[in-house]
Amino acid sequence: MGEEELQQLIKGCIKQDRKCQKELYKAFYGFAMGICLRYAGNRDEAAEVMNQGFFKVFTRAGKYDEAVPFKAWLGRVMINTSIDFYRTKLKMAYTEDLELADQLTDGELPDKNLNYDDLLKMVQALPQAYRTVFNLFAIEGYSHEEIAAMLKINAGTSKSNLHKARLKLKEMILQADASADSPDHHKDINYTRVVAIKKVDMRDIFLNNDTRE
Amino acid sequence: MSKDNELDDLFKRNLEDPVNKAAYNEGDWDALEQMLNKKKKKRIVVYWWPMAIGAAALLLLFFGWWIFKPEGSDQYSQNKAEKHQKINKDLAGHPKQQNQPLQQKASQVSGPLSPENLAVSPVKGRKGGGFIKPAPQVALIPASSTQTTAPQKNDKTDTGVKQNLMAKTPGQTVQKPQTDATFALSLPAKPDTGAAPGQQKKPAKIRSKQSFSPRYALSILGAPDINGVGGFQQSKVGTNVGFLFSVGITKKLTVSTGAIYSVKPYLTGFGNYHTPYQFKVTPTTVTADCRMLDLPLDIAYQVYNRRQNKISIGTGLSSYIMLRESYKFSYADTYETGPSNYTVPGTSKYFFGVLNLKATYQHQVNSKFGISIQPYLKLPLGNIGYSQVHLQTTGIAVGVTWNLNPLPKP
Repeated sequence: MGEEELQQLIKGCIKQDRKCQKELYKAFYGFAMGICLRYAGNRDEAAEVMNQGFFKVFTRAGKYDEAVPFKAWLGRVMINTSIDFYRTKLKMAYTEDLELADQLTDGELPDKNLNYDDLLKMVQALPQAYRTVFNLFAIEGYSHEEIAAMLKINAGTSKSNLHKARLKLKEMILQADASADSPDHHKDINYTRVVAIKKVDMRDIFLNNDTRE
Repeated sequence: MSKDNELDDLFKRNLEDPVNKAAYNEGDWDALEQMLNKKKKKRIVVYWWPMAIGAAALLLLFFGWWIFKPEGSDQYSQNKAEKHQKINKDLAGHPKQQNQPLQQKASQVSGPLSPENLAVSPVKGRKGGGFIKPAPQVALIPASSTQTTAPQKNDKTDTGVKQNLMAKTPGQTVQKPQTDATFALSLPAKPDTGAAPGQQKKPAKIRSKQSFSPRYALSILGAPDINGVGGFQQSKVGTNVGFLFSVGITKKLTVSTGAIYSVKPYLTGFGNYHTPYQFKVTPTTVTADCRMLDLPLDIAYQVYNRRQNKISIGTGLSSYIMLRESYKFSYADTYETGPSNYTVPGTSKYFFGVLNLKATYQHQVNSKFGISIQPYLKLPLGNIGYSQVHLQTTGIAVGVTWNLNPLPKP
């Protein structure tokens, strides 16, 4: 889409012209959805958050500053909407004991050809708090201080959540690797140990066991 | 840390700006379009409803107050003024052009009766003033100043200190500011009422998809109210105590019923009193004391609900069961009187004879209990009681509501 055409659409959106709104929505659907998908737990949630984002864009189109590229502004709106959407959930502390996962493998990440869908699934599988921090830090490139301010948490929590997110992602990558190699390999050991541990993602334990052996 | 970077990189590369990964879905647009359409309605609802409701509640009160103001009230106040003339010993001989012979008689003979008159009329004056006062203040209309001063003047003259001239003025001063206020109030209020019925239909469409189960609540309420015949010009304060049981049949509609014990005293001119008994001497006024059970059956529609605050407007019909009716008759002439009182034997019932209009503000204190404030107006559809009077009531009920099945926590 040309810049001129885009500006026309934005003007239409400011006037609340439904046709312009739809065209703009279609044009940026993939971009916006791409952002929301990795902040959300699943596609439905992502679509809901994205619509809320577009809703803000359309209702506050008048506030758009032309000095900023529209796409960047839209991206910010989507990220902020995602954060708002989950802010309440984020406040719930994850008391999960990740000491277990701390001794996770130092081995190299498997050189696997993981595609968009695989990686997205992994990010979406992260607990909300970890996912949000990971997105903001690793993909958006914010500092821990900035993230702390955005999420109204402290920088230490942000660092800790990032750390935990990375551990979990590594586990998932390894698991993807392992299951690809031999799907039945871990099953026998794993089910014996899970019982005593509360609220812990099973994958933690599976992988820990692996590394200790 | 390089491993961390490697990991971050892997995700960043793949997830940052995926091209054409999320295919456009028309269903998502439909959902957004719905949101955008809803927003327009919501904006109206959110910003205008509380105001519309406030206006409706005020109107509800003023409706009874002003619209039903009887023609005879002018005569009443003038009659009163003349009584004061008598008290001031400025005896007869004054031309009383506008009065009927009956009223003339009343004013002439009120001299000897003056202690009683004095006892009654200042109270009336204050009560009237007390109820009229807050209304214009709420509406913030300058007319309120004249409004509030009027009853005070009235009181002064009731004590009988003032002269002839002063005594004549209160009758006029009471009357005129009131009509001014009527105009002042009805003008700004009208556009609101015009808008309200149109908007009422809108929120019904925005119905939440959440599952709904009926909610039951029990309320205990008490209310001071004022009763008048044909209007509230000659009003008296009554008391109501009762309980209500309500069932939320949908998210917004609530049906309620209960029993309220009411003490309804009222004062009316004899003209409004109907009886087969032939009075030899026609009384001037009738003071009634009615004890009754008010059995309402109302339906209320919730128009505003945010956090713990709810506002609903409702209507319904009440059945009155008269437990005791007694009437006292005042005569113009102390020496020439008829029966002084009459108590109606037995009870009588008036099924669905009264129309209820109410607005309720409810504040939820916790999941079980709430408090409510409810201005209401009761208009008779037929004549009520032995005397067949057109008795109407307005008041503000204050109550405590107990939710029998606690609200689900959000």
